[in-house]
Amino acid sequence: MANINIDSRKKNTFDAIVVGSGISGGWAAKEFTEKGLKTLVLERGRDVKHIVDYPTTNKYPYEFEHRGELTQAVREESPIASRCYAFREDAMHFFVKDKEHPYVQEKPFDWIRGYQVGGKSLLWARQTQRWSDFDFEGPKRDDFAVDWPIRYRDIDSWYSYVERFAGISGHKDGLQALPDGDFLPAYPLNAVEDYFKKVVGSKYANRHVISSRCAHLSAPKQIHFDQGRGQCQNRVLCQRGCPFGGYFSSNSSTLPWAEKTGNLTLKPFSVVESVIYDDRLGKATGVRVVDTNTKEVTEYYAKVIFVNAAAINTNLILLNSTSTRFPQGLGNDSGVLGKYVAFHNYSARISAEYDGLKEFTKDGRNPSDGGYMPRFRNLLKQETDFKRGYAAGFNASRSPLRDTSGFGAELKAQLLNKELGPWRVGSHMMGETIPKESNYVKLDASKKDDWGIPLLKISVDYDDNDAKMKQDYIEQMTEMFTEAGFKNITPNVSSQAPGLDIHEMGGVRMGYDPKTSILNKWNQLHACKNVFVTDGACMTSTSTQNPSLTYMALTARAVDYAVSMMRKNEL
Amino acid sequence: MNRRLAIKQVLILAGGVVLLPSCLRNEGKSTLSLSNLDISLSQEQLLADIAEIMIPKTDTPGAKDLKLHLFVLKMVDDCSAPEDQLKFTKGLAYFEGLNADELKNRIAEVNSGKPGIPEASVDFYRIMKGRVIGGYLNSKYVMSNLVIWELVPGRYNGYFPVKTA
Repeated sequence: MANINIDSRKKNTFDAIVVGSGISGGWAAKEFTEKGLKTLVLERGRDVKHIVDYPTTNKYPYEFEHRGELTQAVREESPIASRCYAFREDAMHFFVKDKEHPYVQEKPFDWIRGYQVGGKSLLWARQTQRWSDFDFEGPKRDDFAVDWPIRYRDIDSWYSYVERFAGISGHKDGLQALPDGDFLPAYPLNAVEDYFKKVVGSKYANRHVISSRCAHLSAPKQIHFDQGRGQCQNRVLCQRGCPFGGYFSSNSSTLPWAEKTGNLTLKPFSVVESVIYDDRLGKATGVRVVDTNTKEVTEYYAKVIFVNAAAINTNLILLNSTSTRFPQGLGNDSGVLGKYVAFHNYSARISAEYDGLKEFTKDGRNPSDGGYMPRFRNLLKQETDFKRGYAAGFNASRSPLRDTSGFGAELKAQLLNKELGPWRVGSHMMGETIPKESNYVKLDASKKDDWGIPLLKISVDYDDNDAKMKQDYIEQMTEMFTEAGFKNITPNVSSQAPGLDIHEMGGVRMGYDPKTSILNKWNQLHACKNVFVTDGACMTSTSTQNPSLTYMALTARAVDYAVSMMRKNEL
Repeated sequence: MNRRLAIKQVLILAGGVVLLPSCLRNEGKSTLSLSNLDISLSQEQLLADIAEIMIPKTDTPGAKDLKLHLFVLKMVDDCSAPEDQLKFTKGLAYFEGLNADELKNRIAEVNSGKPGIPEASVDFYRIMKGRVIGGYLNSKYVMSNLVIWELVPGRYNGYFPVKTA
C-alpha cells in the first residue's frame, strides 16, 4: 500500500500547477513550460482546441437557425448571460449558462463566465492599453485603496515582452497617460474618427483620440507564424474563435506554445476545490481537484502554485482553502481577502450623426473597433468633485438609407438601396471605480454547488462617485460632439448591473503591507510564498484601461520571479 | 387541449368568439412543427400571401420564393415573448377570409396607420413586417447576390470614396 501511495503521489506531482487556462493562466503555462518546468494546467471546463472546436467560425448569418438571435427559451433560462453583448447564437456555447453554475447575489451582479480551455480569452474584446504611473500612483495620490507596490518601471519591459508575443496593433502616440508599446501597425481611424481626433486635439490641451490598440495581427512577424497564427482577416467574428489565429487567445497562442515544449499537462473537467496548505512545512503543497464528471477527488502536488481561475473564482478558491494556520482562507491574515472588489463603469453611451465627409465611407471591417480616448479627467491634478476618471471609445460608421415605412415593390427597393445615410458616431465610457471594503465576495455559509464547493455570494454596487463620473462623461462628450458639429446628440444612460463590464477585479489585492493586502509586489501571497495570483483578483485599483494586457505582463513577471526563487531554493 | 381552451378564453375575454382562429377548427396544420404557435395550413398560406405583398417578386425573388413566411413562423415561435406570440395569432384573424384585392387593401390600411384598426392587428403587422424584413435581408439569396455579406473581408479602408451620382 505504501508503495502505491508513493507512486500515485509521484504521478500527481509536478514542478508547477496553474489553476485556470484563460488569458493569465495561459501565460503562466507558457512561461513555466518554456523555462523547463513540468507544469499542470487545471481547467474546470471542457477542452477547446484551436480551430477544431470552433464549430460556428465559418458560418454565414443565414446558416444560423435564428440568424444569430437568442430564443425565448435561452433568454429565460439564462437571463444573466443573455445580457452580454457576445452571448448570441454564434458564440453562446462558450459561455456559462445561468443554471449550470448558480451564485448568490446580495446585490445585482451580472457574472459573465467562460468555463472551457481558453476561458474568456476566446471571447474578450481584445483592447490592450498599457497602464502608466497615473494609474499605479492613483490610490496613493487620490487616497483610496492602498498604494500599488509596483510602478510603471517595474512592468514596462514585461509589457514589451508580452506585446511582442501576443501581437498588439497600435500607434506610438507619445501620450503621457498611455505609454507606447512594442506595436504592430495600427488599424487606421476612418474619415470621421480622424476628423473628431483633429477637433478634440485642437480644442483641448490634454484630450486625444487615438487608434484603439488591440491584440490583432495587423502584420504578423515570425514569432506569430511560429505559433501557427496568421494575419487578421478583418472578419470581426472573433467571439466564435478565429481560424486564422488573427487575435490573441490562450487557445491560439500560449497553450499550443506550452504544449510544444513537452512540459505541459492540461487537465480539463478539473475544478479546484482548494489549495492544500501544510502547517508543518509552512507552505502550500498542492491543490485538491474535483473531476466535474465523476466527482472523484484527486490531489495534485507542486512546488509552486499559480491561481488564475479568473478574478472572482480565484477569490473563491483562496477563501475555501482553510487550514489551522489560515482559518479565514489562504493568506488571509489581514481579513481583506474577498474585499475591495471593483470593476469598470460602462453604464453610459452617447450617439449622434454627422452630415459632413459624405464623400467617404468605410470598406471592410476594423477589428480594433475605431478610436480610443485615454483618461483626461483629473489626470494631472484633481479638477472635479469625483475621484479619478474615464476612458472612452469612439467610432463612426455609415449604413444605407432604408425607409421601411412602405410595403411592396417600394419597400423592396428601399431594402436594396445602396445610397448611404449620414455618418453615425458613438462613444461609450469606461470609468474607474473605487475599490471599497463594502464591495466584496464571500462564501455562502450553507449553499454548495454540485461538486461540494460553497457558492459564492457577491455584493458589489455603484456609488456616488460613479454617478458623478457618469454625469461628467455625458456632459464632456456632449460638449466635444457639439464642438465637432455632430447632430442629434443622444445620451443613453443604462442601469446595467456591475459585472456586465466583465472587468471585475480585486479581492486578493497587491500591496506593501501584509496587514492591508494579500499579495506582495511579485503577486506572491505575503503569508504563503509559493502561491501566486496574477489574474484580475490581484488588482489594487482598476484604472480605466482594459485590464488583460496588464494581467499578461504581471503573469510573465511573476513566473520569472518564482522560477528564479525556486532555483535559489528560496520558494 | 388546455392550451386551446386558454386561448379560447382569452379570445372571449378580448371581445367575442368571432375572432376564433381557424386552428380551433379541424383543419390542416402548419407545415412547420411549431412549439408555441397554433397555426393552420390556411393561415400559413395567408402569411405567405401577406409576406409576398410586403416583398413581392420583381426581377428578383420575392417573399414566397424565399419562404419568408416560414422564417417568420420559426422566429415568432422560438424567439418572440409569449405576449407577442399571442398578439401575432390574435391579430392575424383580421386578415383572414379576404380575397386578394381586399387583402392588399387591408394591408395598405394597416401599413398607413389608419385609425380604428384593432390593436392586436396593428401588433401582428408590426411583428410580421419586422420579421419579413429581417428574413429578407438575412436570406442567402440577398446576402449572396444583392447586398453581399463577406465572411473574410481581409481589408479595412476608413476613407473609401463614395461614388456620387
